Amino acid sequence: MAQTRERPKPVLHPDFCKGCGRCIESCPKHCIEAGTEIDGATGLIPVQLRLDSCNGCSLCLEACPEPYGLDHESPEPRSSEPPHIPGTENLVAIAAKRRVAETIPDVRVPMPALRPLVVKGTYASAIGALLAGCRHFFGYPITPSTDGAELMAKLLPELEGHFVQAVSEVATINHMYGTGGAGLRCMTFTSSPGFSLMLEGLSYMIGAEIPGVVVDVMRAGPGLGNIGPEQGDIKIACRGPGHGTTQTLVYAPATPQEMLDLTMLAFDKAFEYRNPVLVACDGYLGQITGRVDLPSYMVKPGLPDWAVWGDAAHRPNLHTSILLNEADQEAHNVKLLAKYAQMIDREQRADLYETDDADVLIVAANTPARTAKGAVAVLRKQGIKAGLFRPITLWPFPIRALAPVLPRMKAVVVVEASNGQLEDELRLALSHADLHAPPPITNVRHYGGIMPQMNEIVACARAAHEATPSRRTRETEAEAAARVLS
Amino acid sequence: MSVFYERFDRHDHGQGLKAHATHYCPGCGHGLVHKYLGEAIQSLGLQDRTVLVSPVGCTVFMYYYMDVGNTQAAHGRAPAVAVGHKLANPNSIVISYQGDGDLASIGLAEIFHAANMGLPITVIFVNNAIYGMTGGQMAPTTPMGLKTATSPGGRGRYDGSPMRMAELIAQLDAPVYVERVALYDAKQRVKAHKAITKGLKLQEERRGFSFIEVLAECPTHLKLTPAAAEQWVKDKMVPLFPLGVIKDISPEPWPEQPEPCFDAARVADVIGGATGEAQKFARGFAETGFGADVAIKLAGAGGDGAQTTALLLARAAIQEGFDATHIPSYGPESRGGTSYADVHVAASEVLSPAAPHPHVLVAFNAPSLAKFGPTVVPGGVVVYDKTVIAEPPPLPHVKVFAVPFAQIAQELGAIVVKNVVALGALQAATGLLPKESLLQAVRQALEHKPQFLALNEQAFERGVQAVEALKRAEIH
Repeated sequence: MAQTRERPKPVLHPDFCKGCGRCIESCPKHCIEAGTEIDGATGLIPVQLRLDSCNGCSLCLEACPEPYGLDHESPEPRSSEPPHIPGTENLVAIAAKRRVAETIPDVRVPMPALRPLVVKGTYASAIGALLAGCRHFFGYPITPSTDGAELMAKLLPELEGHFVQAVSEVATINHMYGTGGAGLRCMTFTSSPGFSLMLEGLSYMIGAEIPGVVVDVMRAGPGLGNIGPEQGDIKIACRGPGHGTTQTLVYAPATPQEMLDLTMLAFDKAFEYRNPVLVACDGYLGQITGRVDLPSYMVKPGLPDWAVWGDAAHRPNLHTSILLNEADQEAHNVKLLAKYAQMIDREQRADLYETDDADVLIVAANTPARTAKGAVAVLRKQGIKAGLFRPITLWPFPIRALAPVLPRMKAVVVVEASNGQLEDELRLALSHADLHAPPPITNVRHYGGIMPQMNEIVACARAAHEATPSRRTRETEAEAAARVLS
Repeated sequence: MSVFYERFDRHDHGQGLKAHATHYCPGCGHGLVHKYLGEAIQSLGLQDRTVLVSPVGCTVFMYYYMDVGNTQAAHGRAPAVAVGHKLANPNSIVISYQGDGDLASIGLAEIFHAANMGLPITVIFVNNAIYGMTGGQMAPTTPMGLKTATSPGGRGRYDGSPMRMAELIAQLDAPVYVERVALYDAKQRVKAHKAITKGLKLQEERRGFSFIEVLAECPTHLKLTPAAAEQWVKDKMVPLFPLGVIKDISPEPWPEQPEPCFDAARVADVIGGATGEAQKFARGFAETGFGADVAIKLAGAGGDGAQTTALLLARAAIQEGFDATHIPSYGPESRGGTSYADVHVAASEVLSPAAPHPHVLVAFNAPSLAKFGPTVVPGGVVVYDKTVIAEPPPLPHVKVFAVPFAQIAQELGAIVVKNVVALGALQAATGLLPKESLLQAVRQALEHKPQFLALNEQAFERGVQAVEALKRAEIH
């Protein structure tokens, strides 16, 4: 027996009708016409319904662009709901209020005792990532970082992971925005020109508080430069990668062992702070093979409550970096700044070598720090008490470890494969720490793919040592004079 | 229930009417597409699985309205973000929603390669022929002659011509479903609604990548009434962008993705970790006369095997409990260029891994010997390939061993083992590591090629013997 059922007729909520009139021509029964009266709440002119001949075909509903303009019959008008009082809460707070997901914690799984590996820096980093629970790699081939990506391409499928060769570094970092946003551990290897391309995406990740690990195997620049080693990305890494209020932890490994250890740490920190983390090494370190002891555990990652995972529990979550309301955007910046302040407070790392009795301090990171270590040994054989201060975090600069040893030093020598970018970080950190009278700072710098050599460091440190502290003022004048003359 | 939020709390904190009204201009096509998408998600029961990627453009705030997992991407990058989400959770239903500036201009690379990859995601491309959010500038899909804020004289010859994205996407192998629809009358709207539903259904069935282009109205920037804008789309856009199904294939579904592996034993195996101690042969760090940190340079042409020899040396040293490093350095050629290796072997820690003044040099050709011979420290050791270096430069300050690496290897029937001859020669010339320790490294390297083991062991032994013969000759 055929059943007949009366189909519901549309209801107009005049406050939510913008009067566009798209419904008017959609109605075969001509039940809708353009309005004539201005709605007091909106200042717009809503359409008017005369539903005498309406058969409930709902074509008008299909034509209404507003979710709540033309509606199926609904018992109470939505506009009667209590007004929402705007306050200082931002979108994050709104999301937090709605949150129902619970964080599934990471688990540290014991590993069998394994012999040390003999691998190059990029491989060590890739293996560190696998041990840290990374099963998603996105990347674009660029020398001298590609070995790491190639190893990931080989190993990830064996662990049911994903290796994706992205169309560009721009796509790479946005793939990471997606996978990191879903709450999983992901990474890329890149080198300087590729790193430049990732800055946009890094800013978005930082803004939306999405974790991920970027290993930048720095090569000579500017521009295409060459594939020789450099440390020329320290400036963009430490001064805020990308536009806006951006900051990330920047680790500077010096050995293949640290490539593994710091890559693993980088994943933990990325999720702890919900922020991308950079591992910046030079092209040499990427290629240096060395001894790598394996950790006693690996990480089986959980799933954070904030993930946009694609299930019921995480449905209320949102990742965005746009906050149209200026007060919301400022509040979000204040929140990020508090996070950066925490990083400065908790995350400084440094390695001090032979500094206890030293009076000449060499400051260097990455491979130049190893060369400098050799120089310290040579200098000590020559009777000069040299020591090495090696920042492991380039940002935050480990000023807290440096400050106590600095007063004993007659001179500081900054050794780097860049145009003073590490020295700038040092000087800025000194300034922020109100240390305005450091010992004289000289430097050994190379760029273009050439690394500082041990004999140069030795010579520079000797010269700095031989200049007594009392000559400091005159030296500065002499330097100034030399600059003017040159 | 609808897939729209009950209240739009994210829309300016849901103040007043904004709690239930969109930010779109009157008559804008986006609202309709949102509705059809919302109803498709609802009718297929996908709300809890959906991840919606909002683009940059007027729909940047799509997450104000749709009660699903939401993420907002950088300009043009929504498909790349969508790929990231789909790979993270293959069970999620991922929708990338984009406008014409976002998809067809700044995001061309991302959309093409996401489409070409073909993962089961659904792309909704709303083409209204203009940049809406930034205020009515020319889009890649703007018809020729149309006056916009950035084509005040009308789109002209320096502006390119309108891009037919659906056709371009359909040319790729991977996409399974590409259709262009419109919104200008009830019939078109029904088709649009169906197309969007179909795109999502194909994703649910894991069939592949679907792309629905929707010709939509932007009355504000076309400076038309909503009704006139509908007519404009029909008259001006449809002839340029023909409606209908452009591609519709129904391949086998993508296979189910297995869960990523976190089994410790499996991971240990995959990263090449070996259990148990390696056998040790050395009794302490050798007294070579070069101290506790010995620098070795191996130099030749690409293909000589200098890097392999260097790695074998480093591996053997590390297995003895020492520290070792190896830095390779190549010319720009993939084959046949220069190939140098700096190796350090240290009792406890290698301080500086470069070897500008090595204690030991192994030279595979004349240019290498000429270049690096003079850099060897006084009292150092030089081993070179006598086969190819007839007239060595005078090196009075070092101990020189001329061994015919290549000739010996050839006698053994495989020129490629000349670097293992060199390794044997290096061992005998320096005594840096025991023979057995280097042979263990050779055996490990040939673990999966046992047929070459005897050859390599012979090569190593012949290298050792050649140096020992030279030493005996020197004594007599």
